Amino acid sequence: MKDQPIKKNKQRIRPAQIALFGLTLILAVFFLWPVFFAVMSAFKSNGDILKSPIALPASFYLKNFQDLFAQSDFITAIRHSLILTVVSEALIVCLVPMAAYAIERRSTRTTSLIYTYFLSGMMIPFHLYMFPLFKEMKLFGIYGTLAGPIVSYIAGSVAFGTLLYCSFLKGVPLEIEEAAQIDGCTPFQTFWQVTFPLLGPCTASMVVLNGLNIWNDFLLPYLALPSNMAKTITVEVYSFVGQYTARWDIVFAGTVCSIVPALAIFILLQKYFVKGITAGAAKG
Amino acid sequence: MTGKKKGFDMVSFWFIAPAFLFFTLFIIVPTAASVYYSFTSWDGLSPTVKFVGLANYREIATGARFRNALANTFILTVFISILENTMALALALMVDNVKWWKNFFRSAFYIPVLISGIVSGFIWKIMYNYNFGAINSILSSMGMGGLKQDWLGNPSLALVMVGVVLVWKGAGYYMIIYLASLQSVSTDITEAAAIAGASPWQRFRHIIMPLISGAFTINFTLSLINGLKVFDQISVMTDGGPGFTTETIVYLLYKVGFNEGRQGFGTAVGIVLLFIIIVLNTLQQKFLKSREVQL
Repeated sequence: MKDQPIKKNKQRIRPAQIALFGLTLILAVFFLWPVFFAVMSAFKSNGDILKSPIALPASFYLKNFQDLFAQSDFITAIRHSLILTVVSEALIVCLVPMAAYAIERRSTRTTSLIYTYFLSGMMIPFHLYMFPLFKEMKLFGIYGTLAGPIVSYIAGSVAFGTLLYCSFLKGVPLEIEEAAQIDGCTPFQTFWQVTFPLLGPCTASMVVLNGLNIWNDFLLPYLALPSNMAKTITVEVYSFVGQYTARWDIVFAGTVCSIVPALAIFILLQKYFVKGITAGAAKG
Repeated sequence: MTGKKKGFDMVSFWFIAPAFLFFTLFIIVPTAASVYYSFTSWDGLSPTVKFVGLANYREIATGARFRNALANTFILTVFISILENTMALALALMVDNVKWWKNFFRSAFYIPVLISGIVSGFIWKIMYNYNFGAINSILSSMGMGGLKQDWLGNPSLALVMVGVVLVWKGAGYYMIIYLASLQSVSTDITEAAAIAGASPWQRFRHIIMPLISGAFTINFTLSLINGLKVFDQISVMTDGGPGFTTETIVYLLYKVGFNEGRQGFGTAVGIVLLFIIIVLNTLQQKFLKSREVQL
């Protein structure tokens, strides 16, 4: 073995490669199966889910979705989930990159203190401050409105967002900004028209990772939105589990509405998920 | 704002102020308020707040319910951290070395991460169901009906069964971090070792392992902290039961706060949780610095 050239070694590895591929495939099936099971069940009648949980749907059966929208205000839940995710992300993109830019480009004692202050937010669990937060929301008159979760999501994005943008900004050269400055741009114009467009991949990473957390969030909308109406998709699925204990078909239809948009975004923007996670871990 | 790095001025103030305001108002202020409420018997509703000194912390130190929650949290967190990291590292090594379908496999292992805690809890709750669940029906169809279990109803199994869902949902996230770290290991080194006669295991143990130890420290801390904060799956799968066997610190905090109107005690539990997280983070920093490793 010791003196054999590397080429021979590679040829011999062939059966091992096939074994590794087989093993990886088995594990992939194990990881995907519960998701596959949920999607299949959404297209099966309740009787079929109970009788043969592993079987494929017999036909393209859509009654679960019809029942879901007829028996609950699921449309409102979908609308709320979309508004919370889109509005929060839009505001986060307006505020966080600007702050990170000032922190990174002006390294002074003040900015490095603010950086540490922001990053400390990563350690504070939501469960710790939720009770006083709701009291505060009542004080501002936003408890029970969509604005309540939105302001909280903005605050919650500052730590990770600052981390991500600051590490990304280190790789953006100063010369372009200097040129813009000489051409007479104000700092505000320089940032939004020159630097911000260069931060595109970073913005995409933050938006997909953060947006997924908002889309999937449960406790905050569950507690901060009024109970006389549908809240968000996740909260509705939770309340269905208690409410329709005998109608799994309806709950599965609801879970598909929660999974499919997240899956679609992931398939389209995969590389930004990977970039964001890696950059976040490198510094976190 | 451009040119050479300048001092802190009005421009930087206005750039930072909005984010600063949101962060302070909706995270730091309520956190500071929590510290205050943890010394009170606040019920969340009444306008008057009664100061009770260290009574909440004394209850935490001596109460059986908190001790039970702490033990459950410890078991769950250690269980998932070890399994998640073992699984994630194995998956990363497989994806890194497999010859075909690399991208497909990476996505497949990541997909559970995309699913919300509530939805993943519901899917597995149905799969665990005694009479109609997929797991028992697979066991029956393979002639192993004797292994059938009421997976979530069995007090000695419930916590581990919740842990399995968390590992399934979490491993893909840590895999991405390990994968990035593995891909930064130069193939020159591993190939040189292979020519020198190192077996795959020796290459892994003596070359790859030391080079990814930074990723390991980060992932282990992350999974411990995420384990401490698990809430959604417990609320949908077991509601802390059977009995109190799946009641963790966070779940206890929620229950005493919202179902029992003892938000003062709940915030004190939260402060203990924050303290544990700070200790874990400090240990991580120390560990990373002492080894001087970078991801």
